[in-house]
Amino acid sequence: MIGTGYVGLVSGACFADFGHQVVCVDKDESKIAALRRGEIPIFEPDLDRLVEANVKANRLSFTTELKGPVSEADAVFIAVGTPSRRGDGHADLTYVHAAAREIARALAGFTVVITKSTVPVGTGDDVERIMRETNPAADVVVASNPEFLREGAAIRDFKHPDRIVVGTDDERGRKVVAEIYRPLYLNQAPIMYTGRRTAELIKYAANAFLATKVTFINEIADLAERAGADVQEVARGIGLDNRIGAKFLHAGPGFGGSCFPKDTRALVKTAHDYDVSLRIVEAVLAVNEMRKRAMARKVAAALGGSLRSKTIAVLGLAFKPNTDDMREAPSIPLITALLDQGATVRAYDPESMHQARGELPNIQYCDDAYACAKAADALVIVTEWEQFRALDLKRLKAEMARPVVVDLRNVYRPDEMAELGFTYDSVGRPQQLL
Amino acid sequence: MRISMIGAGYVGLVSGACLADFGHEVTCVDNDEEKVALLNRGETPIYEPQLGQIIADNVTEERLRFTTDLKTSASKADAVFIAVGTPSRRGDGHADLSYVYAAAREVASVLTDFTVVVTKSTVPVGTGDEVERIIRSERKNIEAPVVSNPEFLREGAAVYDFKHPDRIVIGTNDDRAREVMNEIYRPLHLNASPIMYTDRRSAELIKYASNAFLATKITFVNEIADLSEKIGANVQDVARGMGLDKRIGPKFLHPGPGFGGSCFPKDALALAKTARDHESPLRIVETVVDVNDHRKRAMAKKVAAALGGNLRDKTIAVLGLTFKPNTDDIREAPSIPLITALQDFGGRVRAYDPAGMERAKQVLQNVEFCANAYECAADADAVVIVTEWDQFRALDLKRLAAVMACPVIVDLRNIYAPDEVIRNGFLYNGVGRPLSLSY
Repeated sequence: MIGTGYVGLVSGACFADFGHQVVCVDKDESKIAALRRGEIPIFEPDLDRLVEANVKANRLSFTTELKGPVSEADAVFIAVGTPSRRGDGHADLTYVHAAAREIARALAGFTVVITKSTVPVGTGDDVERIMRETNPAADVVVASNPEFLREGAAIRDFKHPDRIVVGTDDERGRKVVAEIYRPLYLNQAPIMYTGRRTAELIKYAANAFLATKVTFINEIADLAERAGADVQEVARGIGLDNRIGAKFLHAGPGFGGSCFPKDTRALVKTAHDYDVSLRIVEAVLAVNEMRKRAMARKVAAALGGSLRSKTIAVLGLAFKPNTDDMREAPSIPLITALLDQGATVRAYDPESMHQARGELPNIQYCDDAYACAKAADALVIVTEWEQFRALDLKRLKAEMARPVVVDLRNVYRPDEMAELGFTYDSVGRPQQLL
Repeated sequence: MRISMIGAGYVGLVSGACLADFGHEVTCVDNDEEKVALLNRGETPIYEPQLGQIIADNVTEERLRFTTDLKTSASKADAVFIAVGTPSRRGDGHADLSYVYAAAREVASVLTDFTVVVTKSTVPVGTGDEVERIIRSERKNIEAPVVSNPEFLREGAAVYDFKHPDRIVIGTNDDRAREVMNEIYRPLHLNASPIMYTDRRSAELIKYASNAFLATKITFVNEIADLSEKIGANVQDVARGMGLDKRIGPKFLHPGPGFGGSCFPKDALALAKTARDHESPLRIVETVVDVNDHRKRAMAKKVAAALGGNLRDKTIAVLGLTFKPNTDDIREAPSIPLITALQDFGGRVRAYDPAGMERAKQVLQNVEFCANAYECAADADAVVIVTEWDQFRALDLKRLAAVMACPVIVDLRNIYAPDEVIRNGFLYNGVGRPLSLSY
């Protein structure tokens, strides 16, 4: 497994847990040293125990040396990062291409090389070409096997996937990948075999569609607010339609994270390169971009229009619960907009504050929700961590300078909040409930 | 329950017949005397599987009647359903509510006792408030709660859908009205269809948001199909891979020539307009409407490309005219802009559809209508499959090739396996499948 980032580490640990012999390779010596000490560099429920158990059973090991493990492997997974390239939003494939070259030099015997990183359509062709150029004698098949796990539920998702997509037309390649996933296959996760380019596109299309679904309901939420409907009810009503489904219909402050923004941008760029406009996905990106900052205006509106000299308590910074990941989190543009409008910001997040300090240096970090709410003019719920779902509202109100709550995840009931004397605003619920 | 159904169009007729079939006593009211006479003779004015039988059975059992007399019907009813048309208003795409308001006024004037008034027509958010205001202003002393109860049936499977809905949405905060509605839908509820009670405005929005989302889903995969063609991926597999994701689901991921019909285009447009009125533009839905409008005509360019770029003096055989199979409805069907574009580019068009030709004749000019698929294909330079009627799914390809001038198939519904068609000597072009498969 080349790369011990999110996907590499989770995949490697889970494959080992199936009984395969897995070596995770990373150039970062301090990271490998930490992993060998049993320290997990990311926050992911149960991952530490899974790594520990499989290291102990001698099925999982970590190294900075690529050559040995690759030469002995039946399959080599490329799971290095593909960040958005600065400037143009294309996926940066430098690491993928470098890994391909290095792997090619180390190959011995028949090996299947599998791109697990999310890579644009055609990258598998590039990887194959690089390998053939670097090592013309190698007996190698290049397959695409995109990973669909969600941060915060990565292990469960890896072990109970909706489907496993295997992109290669080569029979030998298919056989090796099928053998790797056999334990899941027995668990009834369907394996879908298809062409390599199609497999690559599936990953992007699925993420772009989910981004569309979320953004669709966000726009409906805005309309619901204006038209006096309740977006929670609308989402329930449309989600009951089997052709639509209830998932990903939660209105909020806009999507973020390390995948959706990056993957939708990369898909749009790929399409442009082929002279196709994916106009829906383009609209989704534009709408989502504007939404995050617009949430600050919502906070201002709840405080009568001005944020000058106001203290705002922000609960939740990570882009979603159960992760410490701050990448493209809605909290960042929201907080910078609050600061721009003259507010003082205090914040609390159970896991991501160490990550946030770099991105957001000019805010005050607090120890818990109540400390955060102290003397605040408004409290804004940005991430729906479980611990924010049942706050002691009386205590909260006593701490605050003004009892104003802006709930961007609709975790509280408007009537309850009103009863307790809060001025309460949420997303896509009628204003007259205020 | 005694039910008065105002409007014997698609929704009114299917709803009325099915509610009668549950055992309710239903009168369908329509202004159109001819239509009412025809229905009373046992004929069905629309093409819809099972509907004729259900109407006949329930008329015989005396649970279903048709009349032009709104007064008698509505005054005796426990519930009056407004199921009149809400066409797109010419010029601006807003839903034309004049029939709804006229029905509300007329119903109000005849009510004698507590009656639940139900809007079943697809109406913009806030219409229920307006209907209630109209009724109140006409009749201050009658209690008549107004309920929104949008209908989600699909043409071609309307009876099945009415009887097996994913959900029944009932929008009202009035307890007595809920009780009446619950009683009306009890037979379905026992069948495990969930009844969702909500407020009226949310119920109205649910209908539009559902249709707009489904239109978005189709258009999303249509754009992915265009990309797949260019990059050498297969959109059928992309759709399968996406659809296996439970958060997405496999339905409505079939690429094609763009969505049509009497609901999606009208409802998506009306929702976009409503949102503009509330200064809350729905940019995704607006984009969907626009992309879909362009797509239908773009399909003619696809046909031209399959014939080397030029349609001048070419004969094109179009199979399928209705906006989908199992209906005779050609409203907003992709076939219409496709055919006019083929003609604009200089092509001669022959067409065949199992049920839609009568209606198509009123809209399309200079099209030669044929008796079956093979006659349609005679001497044609290309066959274009526009609607996926079952009878087009297993055409005798050898026979087809033999009658055509030039064996080219443009399959806008991807109902054939490319290699099979190519093996029979055709040039084949589907939607969103790699060009390498086509030749």
